Amino acid sequence: MAGPCTDRGPALVCPPLVTAARSPVITGSGVVSPLGNGLPAFWEGLAAGRSAIAPIRRFQADDLDPATAAEVAGGGAGDPDRAGAFALTAAMEALASAHLRTAELDPARVAVALGTTLGGMEIFETWDRAAAAECAPPAHLERVPYFAPAARVAAAVRARGPVVTTQLACASGTQAVALAAEWVRSGRADVVLAGGSDLLCRFVVAGFNSLRATADVARPFDRDRRGLVLGEGAAVLVVEEEAHAARRGARVAARVLGTGAAGDAVHMTAPDREGGGVVRAVGAALADAAVPPSAVEFVSAHGTGTPFNDAMEARALLRLFGAYAVPVNSIKGAIGHTLGAAGAFEAVLCAEVIARGLVPPTAGLRQIDPECAGLDLVHGEARRCDVRVALSTSSGFAGANAAVVLGRA
Amino acid sequence: MSEVAITGTAAVLEEALEERLDALPDAVRSRALRAERVTQLALTASGGALAEAGLLAVEGEPRPDFGITLGTAFGCFLTNAAYQRRVATDGTRVASPRLFAATVSNAAAGEVGIGYRLGGPAVTLTAGAAAGLLAIGHAADAITSARARVILAGGVDATGPALARWLADGGLAVGETPVCGAAAIAVLQSTRAADGPGGGTPGKVRGYVLGYGAGFTPPGEDDGGGVLAAVSQALDHARVRPVQLARVVLEGAPSAADPSQRALRAVLGGAVPAAARPSHDHVERFAAGGPIALLAALRDATPEAPFLVLHACPSGHVAALIAMRTRPA
Repeated sequence: MAGPCTDRGPALVCPPLVTAARSPVITGSGVVSPLGNGLPAFWEGLAAGRSAIAPIRRFQADDLDPATAAEVAGGGAGDPDRAGAFALTAAMEALASAHLRTAELDPARVAVALGTTLGGMEIFETWDRAAAAECAPPAHLERVPYFAPAARVAAAVRARGPVVTTQLACASGTQAVALAAEWVRSGRADVVLAGGSDLLCRFVVAGFNSLRATADVARPFDRDRRGLVLGEGAAVLVVEEEAHAARRGARVAARVLGTGAAGDAVHMTAPDREGGGVVRAVGAALADAAVPPSAVEFVSAHGTGTPFNDAMEARALLRLFGAYAVPVNSIKGAIGHTLGAAGAFEAVLCAEVIARGLVPPTAGLRQIDPECAGLDLVHGEARRCDVRVALSTSSGFAGANAAVVLGRA
Repeated sequence: MSEVAITGTAAVLEEALEERLDALPDAVRSRALRAERVTQLALTASGGALAEAGLLAVEGEPRPDFGITLGTAFGCFLTNAAYQRRVATDGTRVASPRLFAATVSNAAAGEVGIGYRLGGPAVTLTAGAAAGLLAIGHAADAITSARARVILAGGVDATGPALARWLADGGLAVGETPVCGAAAIAVLQSTRAADGPGGGTPGKVRGYVLGYGAGFTPPGEDDGGGVLAAVSQALDHARVRPVQLARVVLEGAPSAADPSQRALRAVLGGAVPAAARPSHDHVERFAAGGPIALLAALRDATPEAPFLVLHACPSGHVAALIAMRTRPA
């Protein structure tokens, strides 16, 4: 739609903001994860098929059932604003791995896009108790809102470009990466810290338990899967404009080829059984990337381990890929469901799979459910794969779906 | 960016919500009555905007080329508070699954999608109170890049005692300004589509920019850098010179007004009339405030004369959007 306006009224020429094609590339990653902090520990744990799921230790859980989760140690875990601290720690690692010093950049060209579903929820819990007891409020109330973790990162890196929190429930992290790619393409930013961050607290564990959506162990796509196990942490990527990265000689880990999002428009908590929203979101991402389904060589599935999600997702992937056998995994058996951070972790995973040629196994998966049997699920041990194009899909409450397609640099 | 047409608009204030709920189509009203207030506001404003655009539908398959982008400052804050209070009072074993399912800020977008059969991109964004204008700008980008044919976009926030208490305890500086919930939604389409049969075009989005300044700074310490960058880039984005701006509408908390005025003077000089706060300037409507200011300006503006709506939030988020009213056919 670029070019001179042809609408009614006085002629006001409105050419596109950027005339040259701009490509988003990933030049750095950072993670705070239950498998360990820093990208190397995260990757080694995934590749080895380890699971960080264990009984909850950090807060009172004797009245929670189930009471298992994948908790983070370190990485800012002692900060009352855990989501903000996780995001900041991951962002700093991402910048370091990209060899970027934001102080040397034009602040108006630096942006932040983060997903979260809980933000400063633990401060909120403390504030609620204090308010009910008519006690003095806790410190840092400004870190309660969902926009606070992104604002905290923005302040730390002096970003004065767009600073946005994506709110697509468990697809928030994926949409943050998508938003970053859109900003780079449209010329709104040259460098975007994009990802997601979430925390474990009583609020969320009790809530998922009330929905009977949880289990002691996460077994994505397994015949005996009973539900999801919650996790926490943050994953942040540096999404950078390709020419900007080239000018400074940065190493490019992967390209963001395409993104897509779609609503189910069916139910607030249950997924569309036919996977309609996932099919539309992935279809949009593939169209945006201008690649056919047959070009996709790895899928990082949402794979929560709930009976409905995994069956729906299997149906959607089979609708999309048909008989073409594409390797699929889920990392939620390893780090739990990290909610607003999940899609960001999976984007980091996709970039690493492309770079390393190795697909980690699906921890927790022992016997594939016949409903998911058409998928080429990687389980047991890591599989060597030459992956040039990878897809990550995420779905969440309120029928939110988002997908990103990454490609080899 | 290319221009994007606004083909329908509607705003709903909390004080008029009950009456507007009664006017909803039956299928939507039954869902709305079970929903949280922030969702009710979004449903009523979205229905009004779709009806004005001639695009209302409440049954059939989801329309894959219809999307929604909502901006909210606090989203499900009140639902979180209600859910948390019950858990704290009665214990985790009686946690409400109904309330918990609504403790996501995209619940409103999800219900609007179900109610009005939207199967395209469903995105909710948070950027302090600047999120409403941001959502309209983001949707304009999505229309320009052909991600959807029609997008409902705007801002929504609900208010209540829990939010008032949190604000008073130090959550976000709004001073003595009274607060009130609202939703304001615009239907965006490409100008080409809007010129077809039945397409009314109250206005157009010319360009937008979201910037970030210094968040939560004490009075006098905000240098206005975020506003300065956002306004200058928005002008560039819309290819509008300061002298072409017919009007500047300044939305936002009073604490952000002084640095905004200073930054505006630095960017615009004496080229435009002094920035005016909208007529509802005595009420803080959070993410609905920017879109309400936009809708009011569209109604009052001189046709084809671009104007700027600026929303600076104490959180540091700044949205600058340039639009214009379309000449009546």
